[in-house]
Parts: sequence; structure tokens; C-alpha cells
Amino acid sequence: MSYFFQLVVSGVVVGSIYALSALGFVLIYKSSRVLNIAHGQIIAAGAFITYALTVWAGIPIYISFPMSMIITFFLAMSVERIFLRRLIGEPIISVIMVTIGLMSILDGLIYLTPFGTENFSFPPFLPTTPISLGGVSISWTQLVGVGVTFTMIAAFSWFFKKSTVGISMRAVSDDQLASMSIGISVPKVFGLAWAMAGLSAAAAGGIIGNITGLNFDTLHAFGIVVFPVVILGGLDSILGAVVAGIIMGLIQQFASGYLDGNWGLNGTGEIMPYVILLVILLFKPHGLFGIHEIERV
Amino acid sequence: MKKNNMTTCMFLLVAVFMLNFPVQAHAGEVYKLGLSMAITGPTSDAGNPYSKGVADYFSFVNDTKILGDDTIDCTIRDDQYKTDVTKQNFEDFLDQGIVFYLNYSTGSTLALKKDFEEEKMPVIPASFHAGNLVDSNYIFLPIASYSAQAIGLAEYVAKNNTGPKPKVAMFVHPSAFGRGPVEDLEKAIAAGLDVEIVEVVEHGKNLDNTAMLKRLISKNVRYVISQTVQSPVATMLKDASSLGLAASTFGEEGKLTFLGCHYTGGNDLVALAGPASENYYWTTSYTITNEPSAGTTAQLELAKKYNRDEKAANSHNYANGMMVAQVATEVIKRAKAKGKKVTQESLYEEMLAMNGDNAFSPGTTVGPVTYSKTDHAGVDTLQLYVVTGGAFKSAGTPFIPEFTKK
Amino acid sequence: MASNRWLATGNYFTSYKEEQRIFFTSLDRTAMCLFIIVLFAWPLFFSVGNKYMLVIDNILVAIIAVMGLNLVTGFAGLISIGHAAFVGVGAYTVASLARTLGDGHIILTHCWPLVIILSGFMGAAFGAIVGLPALRLKHLYLAIATLSFQMIFQWIINFMDFFNQGQTISVSRVIWVTGKVARKEHYLFWYYAILVTIVILAFAVRNILRTKYGRCLVAVRDNDRAADAMGMHPGFTKVYAFALAGFLAGIAGALHAYLYRGVGIESFTLHHSINYLAMAIVGGLGTLSGCFMGPVAIKILDLQVERLSEWASEHLTFAANLATALKPLSFGLIIVLFLMFEPRGIANWWRIAKSYVKLWPFRY
Repeated sequence: MSYFFQLVVSGVVVGSIYALSALGFVLIYKSSRVLNIAHGQIIAAGAFITYALTVWAGIPIYISFPMSMIITFFLAMSVERIFLRRLIGEPIISVIMVTIGLMSILDGLIYLTPFGTENFSFPPFLPTTPISLGGVSISWTQLVGVGVTFTMIAAFSWFFKKSTVGISMRAVSDDQLASMSIGISVPKVFGLAWAMAGLSAAAAGGIIGNITGLNFDTLHAFGIVVFPVVILGGLDSILGAVVAGIIMGLIQQFASGYLDGNWGLNGTGEIMPYVILLVILLFKPHGLFGIHEIERV
Repeated sequence: MKKNNMTTCMFLLVAVFMLNFPVQAHAGEVYKLGLSMAITGPTSDAGNPYSKGVADYFSFVNDTKILGDDTIDCTIRDDQYKTDVTKQNFEDFLDQGIVFYLNYSTGSTLALKKDFEEEKMPVIPASFHAGNLVDSNYIFLPIASYSAQAIGLAEYVAKNNTGPKPKVAMFVHPSAFGRGPVEDLEKAIAAGLDVEIVEVVEHGKNLDNTAMLKRLISKNVRYVISQTVQSPVATMLKDASSLGLAASTFGEEGKLTFLGCHYTGGNDLVALAGPASENYYWTTSYTITNEPSAGTTAQLELAKKYNRDEKAANSHNYANGMMVAQVATEVIKRAKAKGKKVTQESLYEEMLAMNGDNAFSPGTTVGPVTYSKTDHAGVDTLQLYVVTGGAFKSAGTPFIPEFTKK
Repeated sequence: MASNRWLATGNYFTSYKEEQRIFFTSLDRTAMCLFIIVLFAWPLFFSVGNKYMLVIDNILVAIIAVMGLNLVTGFAGLISIGHAAFVGVGAYTVASLARTLGDGHIILTHCWPLVIILSGFMGAAFGAIVGLPALRLKHLYLAIATLSFQMIFQWIINFMDFFNQGQTISVSRVIWVTGKVARKEHYLFWYYAILVTIVILAFAVRNILRTKYGRCLVAVRDNDRAADAMGMHPGFTKVYAFALAGFLAGIAGALHAYLYRGVGIESFTLHHSINYLAMAIVGGLGTLSGCFMGPVAIKILDLQVERLSEWASEHLTFAANLATALKPLSFGLIIVLFLMFEPRGIANWWRIAKSYVKLWPFRY
């Protein structure tokens, strides 16, 4: 039974990281209807900035972590300003392709730094002995990661529910024309959405970097991993991203815990999300919490 | 109007790309070599120092006139681990008239095997996959194959295990590169090697290996032999230590002891896994800079001469690239010494003659390089290293796995 | 119809059928014929070496694949982020024949044109299956469905022993009337083989686009409700667009398998899908001429960047990282710049150039 609970715990840990990675993706989609293929690169950039600040500049991690979030905030904002502002009103294919081009550009920029090809790891700042409870153990890094994730998600939820800016962002996602007519600057909202996506991506990057070490390949793969999560949750729902992230983490852990190694199966945890993705697309395309805007043509 | 300007700019941009960038020609007799490898993209963490090692050693050869007035011109191309691009590079090298070819990935070596045969081109890949040698006469592995490495590790497990027959799991990369040794290890076990493979795990890009590790423990596995690259091993080690499953001494009961082949170890692993890498056993044929020797001094001096940073200089893959270049230079030197014309045929003959008294000791490896008609693996000797106090240190003396031939 | 069919002036049409002709003037047709003749004849006079022949062959294969992608993305307006997987389906059809029959089996070596067509149909079948969600989904969700097909395809190939777990499955050399195609003439032989395929397929596609089956693709892209009202079934049209794209991709895949004499998963990854998309965009979405220009432009860019970075790493030793970063950087920049400033692609420059020549010395 402790095996089962261990899987649940690590599923929740992995899932909450998925949720945080998916959050930024959903924020951009929610406000501007853009699928950001370059999200993985922004996550990686966030992780690298955190590392550079912590190790090269020698700033303690509890300061450098929020600092990197702020830097990535402005970074993502300028990305939106430079590349995407001009494309408002263009067909959605173009915008998606721009994010694909963006992915390549960010790849190139990261290859300019040592991070592109070398491996790094954060200096340990938490106790290395795991916390054990009845045969179920969790490391401090993971625990703190989950803590940060839920704090961030709570903060975002509050922001969208209560703050004026957050409400105007929701208004834009609801109806661009109407919000423009009541004086909301739509481009500014788009910029802000990207910036906040950058913020959450940096947080996700920092946490993943602490758990797995910094390897560019591993980090930018998260840009693809979020797809099943956001589809399951519904592309435009923050709550959906959280719930779906955790469901996905649990499914992955259970698949690799109970399926792998039996019946000659291997790596099912890797592919399960995509199988679920196809099933969801066929039977419940708007996901668990998405708005029912899918048409049956 | 602005749009028009931009269009002009783009025309200009395209025009710039149409221009030719002349690549400088060398004077004197030039031996052309080619290397196609992943400097960026997957496995670039190993490929990058490897390419630096190769480039530096050949510059060293030219600068210090090891071959007299003759020079080596080795073109290094980035193929980003894409087989198609490797093939394209290889064809290009052939058009340029190379006499020796250096390759990189397992996938491309397997894919181009037929071409090497048809072109009769001697090749040293950076992949030590035993399958490279099947149906092939022209591929030479620089050191013992992954299979030999895995068997060597399993032998070490069999010798040093206490208690019942040791249960081993393999943690492999989901590709030919990772799967290669599994079958050969199974053969060695059938030939009498006293271990039992309980499970072969092919990893993905997992964030968390809890499920796998717990499962292995529940199957009473005590040793995990990995054949992959550093980053997944690092994640696994971290998870194992956070779950409290990592053995603190070799073969501790109820815990897991981790071992791995050439590309799983090195300084990068320690950098990635941090303290969790403690007690990780790693085997390769190269000397490492933590254990100073004549070879490592030469390695560090070479890196210093060409202004490489600490990280590249101390990488075992820098030594790896350097050693491959050393072998290539050595055969050219030997062909010249015998008064033969340096061609792919004469170099191939020299490669095959590199045994017995003619064995070559590059210094960067723990044993001599030997090749013959039947032996296409260079250095047969392996050295076991173990992480103690945050750095790899030698464990025991160099050895040759007994079961490789069976 | 104008009295002089060689001139562009004074052309008028009395029926829609006439307006739909492929060549407006006899001049256009002659130019096209000459161009095709040049394409066939130049290897007889010049020799470019194996590398460039391989690159050219590669471009031609990419052209076939991009034609497929352009049908589904450019004409039918459905983003496909899994096109390389369809190409892979074609290649793995050849590979699985090689696995079951042995790689030197007579079907593979003698009946290769049939194998290539069979691969096309396999691609079409998979295209239709993946397109099935199109009955319910719209653009973005469909894009993600193709992405997941790409992922599942890669996993299956990597997982199954039958496909050699993604390692290269070799395919032997083919037999032509002159006997076995030797290594020396391999690339030249496939140049002609692929070129013939392209000419046939390009005319087929051009003709499909003239029929109601082609026009309904465009109608569904532009407004699927209106298309519905006019009696087309948008869902089935989309499925059919995917099947067409799959067919072309499958043929490209089989040619790729024969050209490289082997099939490995590394040639059909997500990265390649993105590359095909980039080619389609740079060439010009929704144009047939763009299908030819896109792959050529991207490949030339690739080669030049490789040259440039070689040059850079030789002369600017401090900038070793720059050399490796150039490739993704330039690739990304090209896509972004085209989308921002010339979303209609090179095909639009071609159009502008043509009309400029036609009107010279007058301007608008």
C-alpha cells in the first residue's frame, strides 16, 4: 500500500510542476488565443537566469529566484512587443508559426551561452535527507517545489478574480471589441499576459532545474509536455491546468508504476499523456473545464 | 513604404546568404579528414568537448609539425544528431577526398555502415556500440564496446556481491545506443556470468523515477547498470537519494547500487546530480584528470594551449576526442614512415597492423590501442571509477572483462 | 479567347472552364516546358559531386512533402504539426516490406514504383484516420491532434521490435533496365526518379485544384459555414484534405527510404515537421509555386549558414558558440521575418517579379 501512496505523492509532485508549466501556456491562450510553441524555451531561459544569478552572481537563491521571475517577466513582455504585436489580427496559423520561429531563435540565443550544451546543477540549499512518513518519502526540493507552485497558482487565481487588471484581462479574453470600447488597451493586456506567462515559466524552470539539474534538452521538452495537460484541462482554464496537471502526473506515475516492466511494456508513462490527449480530443474536445466553443462542423 | 524597405532588406539578406564564404586553403601536403558530429542538439553535452578535443589535437599536430611539413585538415561539421545530415556531410567529405573518417552517433554509424563498406573508408565513431561491428570491416571502435563495459560492470558486481545471486536491472536509453549491451549481457549470463537481469528499463524524459525505483526495490534488485547519457542518470540518482534508496556502500542490502558505462559518467554527472552522485560506479577506458598521469597532463596542456575552459579541459570526452585524433595521426605517421602513400587503403592496413609490438599507447587511455582483422575494438582494458567526496576516483586497477569473448 | 494565344494582352474568356486553364498563354506553357527540359538536361552537362546531388535530391523529396502539407495547411487551412510522421508512414511502409520480405526481395528492388505508390496509399489511410477528429474539431485543436499523432508515431516506432526500435532498417539498391543502380549513379538515378514523380504529382495537384474537389478545400478554409450551406460537407472535406496530404507525404517518405537506402526514426521527428512547415511558409502558403521555392530557399539557407559558421569558427576562434548558434538563429529569424513582413512567401515575390516584367516599362 505504501507503494501506492508513494506513487500518489510523486504523481502530485510531478503534476504540480506540470500545472505550473501549463499555467503560462494557458495565460497566453486565454488572453490572445495564441498557442505558444516556444513555451519550453522560456521555461529553460528562466531556469538558466536563476542559475546565472545564483551561482555566477552569487545571490542567495531565495532572492535570485524571484529576481529571475521578474527578469523573465520583462523578457517575455518584450518578446510579445517585438514579435507578436504586429501580428494582431493576422490569421492564427501565422501567429502559431511565429512562436515556432521564436522557438528556433531562442534556441539559437541559448546556444550562444554555455547553457546550450553543458550541464549544471544548483548548489543544494535544502537539507538532502528526505522526509519519510510511513514508507512514503519526499525530498525537500520537491516539497518546496510543490509549495511554490501552489502559492503561485493561488496568487494568479486571486489576481484574476479580484484585481482590476486581472478582471480587464478576463474581459479581453471574453470579448476584445467590447473591452476595447470600454477603454481597456488590448495590446497592453496581451503584453501583460505574455509577461505573466514568462513569470510562471521562470518559476517552473527554477523548480525543474532544482529537481533534475540544468540540461537544455530536458528543460525545453516541457514546452511539448504541457500540450496534453492543457487540452485535458481545457485550453483557457487556469483551474483546468492545475487539475489536469495533477491528473497527468498521477497517470504517468501509475502507468510507469503498474504497467512498465509487465507484459513487456516500457516507457508507457511517456506516451500515456498523448493517448489520453487523443481520446479527449475525440470525445471531449473542450477538456474538463474549457469553454464549449468547439463546433461540430 | 516601410514595408517596401523591409522587402528590400530581405532581398539583401537573401543575397548575403547567396555569397560564398571562401574556406582557407593550406599549403603543402594536406591529408583530409572529416568528422561529423552533434555539437548542438541531443547529446551535445558530450559532443561539444569531444569536438574540441579532436580540433585541438589536430591543430597541435600541425603547429608542432608532428608530421613534418605535412598537415592534417580535419573538417568538423555539426549534424545535430540527425542521420540525414551526417550522410550529407559524409558525401561531402568523400567529394573532398578524405582519407580517414571520424563519426559520432550510434544511429548514423549503423545507417552509414553500408556506405563505409562500399567506399572502403576506415572509420572511428564515438559510439562504442558493439552492433557497429556486425557485418562491417571498416569501423573501428576507439575503446571497448558498451557491451564489454556492461559485462565488465556485471562481472564486478558478481565478484563483489555478498549473499545470494545478485539481481541486476538495466537502465537504458530508448535507442540502439542504449539497447545494444542488453543482449550481449544476456549472452554473457548464459555463458556463466553469475548475475540475473530482472528488468530492463527504457527511460523517457521522466521528471520523477519514484515509481521505477520502488518497483525495482520490490523486485529485490540491488544493482542498476545504466547505459544512457548523464542527465537521466542524474535524475535517477537524485530520486534514489531522496527516497533513501541509494546504497552508501557497494551492494548494500535493500538499497540500490548504481553503475554505468562511458557516457553516463564524468564530471557532468557530478555537476548534475551533486551529492546524490556519491558511490556511483562508472567504467571507461580513458584516464581522468582527477587521477593525474602522463596522459592527463598532456590533455590539460593541450587544452591550455588552445585556451579551453576548465570544464572542457577536464572532460573525459575531451580526452575521448583527443584520443581518436591521436589514433588517426598515428596511422598516418606509420604509413608515412613505411614510405606508403597516405590513402584510405594504406591507413586501413595500418589500422589492422596496430597490434602486438605495434600496439599504440596514446597515454589518454588506461591500456594500449590494438586493432587486428578480428579485433576492431581499440582499448580492451577498462578502469572502474567511483564517486567519492564529490569526484570520480579510481576503484581498483584496470581490467579486461572475461566474458566478452564468450 | 484572344486571337493570339502567345500574348497576355487581349485575353478574355467566354466560359469558366477556359478561365481555369493551367497556362494562360502559350508563352507560359513553352516556358514551363523549357524549364522542365532544363531540369532534366543539366546533369548531363555539369557534375556537382555527390554531396550536392544528395542535397538536390533531398530538396526534391521535401518538395513532394511540402506539396502535401500545403494542400492541408495552405489550401484547406488546417495546421498540421505532424507532417513528418506521415512522411514516416510512407518510409516505414517500405521498411516493413524490407523487414518481412528481406531487404533484397524482388518486390522492393524490381517493383519499386509500385512500392512507392503503395506507400502513398498507406500515408493516405493514416492521413484520413488522423483527420477523423476534424469531423468535430476546429483549427487549434486539430493542430494539437496532429502533434499527438507525431508523438505516438515516434513512440510506436521506438517501441516495436518489428521496426527495429527506430534503428536504421536498410533497403537495398533498386534494379533499373541498365541493371543494379550502383553507388556512383545512385543519386543521379534518384534525381531523375524523383523529378519525374514531382512533375506527375505537381500536374495532378494543379488539376485537382481546378476541379470541384480542389475548390471545396479553399471554400472550407475561407468559410466553412458558407461551404456547408453550398452543399459541401466541411468535415469530410477536411478528412479528405488530410488523406491527400498523407498520400503525398507517403510518396515522399518512400522516396526518402530508397534515396537514403535505409529508414530510421531520426528522419521523421517533430523537428522535421516544423521544418516542413517553415518551408511551406517561406514558399508561400496556399500557392503551388511556393511548394517548390520554400524547400529550395530553406536548404540553400541551411547550406550557406553551414558555410558561414565554418568560416566563423575558422576566423573567429573566440566565437565557437556563435558558429553553432547560427543555424537555429537564422532558421527562426527567417520564419519570423517572413511572417511579419512577407506572409505570402517567396511565391509573392515571384508574382510581383512576373507582373513587373509583364508590364515593363510601365508601372502601376
